[in-house]
Amino acid sequence: MEKGKISNNIRKLRFFQNEMTQQQLAEKVGVTRQTIIAMEQDKYSPSLELAFRIALVFGVPLEEVFSYTLEEHKK
Amino acid sequence: MSFQEKNTTVSLSIFTLILFFYLIRIFQMVKGESFTAPNLFRLWGVIAVIAVAGTILLTIFTHIAGGIVHKIKTNEDPQIEDLQDERDQIIDMKGTRVAYTFSSLGVALSMLTFVLGQSPLVMFGLLIFFGILAQVVADGWRLTLYRRGF
Repeated sequence: MEKGKISNNIRKLRFFQNEMTQQQLAEKVGVTRQTIIAMEQDKYSPSLELAFRIALVFGVPLEEVFSYTLEEHKK
Repeated sequence: MSFQEKNTTVSLSIFTLILFFYLIRIFQMVKGESFTAPNLFRLWGVIAVIAVAGTILLTIFTHIAGGIVHKIKTNEDPQIEDLQDERDQIIDMKGTRVAYTFSSLGVALSMLTFVLGQSPLVMFGLLIFFGILAQVVADGWRLTLYRRGF
């Protein structure tokens, strides 16, 4: 099976959401600030539920926050 | 560093020290020909007390010291994020799996000492050793996952 990578626009979306801080987002979705940092650095892929909660906070569809790329297509 | 990451660091530090203490005491016992059941059981008791009391005390101290440093650096009241979110839980589970693997391997190796004709004391000593080692490796793995991501 081809390997894929999940990336996100959380940092950009936070900026356009009145420069929301990582702490504020963390509190809104119920995780620690470290988890938000890990996601922004692509070091952690969230669960589907957390992904939906993040999209809900920004008021955008899920695919505007997260994207999935197959390693082969990236090259 | 998150609350859970700090706790893991404290646990790793305590159990690494305990591992060294245990190995040194076992070496001393074997060298002084005092590797007997009462001595080994006493050592086991001491280690259990150090592990529990040491972890609790050092965790409290770390959070107090961390809070003071945070206050001095930023002049803001420290916020303790004592919640364990999904990432913490996954990391914890991955660490526990590593601990189980090492413990199981330890039990199997300890049983091998019977095959080699060693006394039950050797088996018990090895069981304790692998128990501590499993904790050290698991905490090390958890910290690696916190830093490297997964």
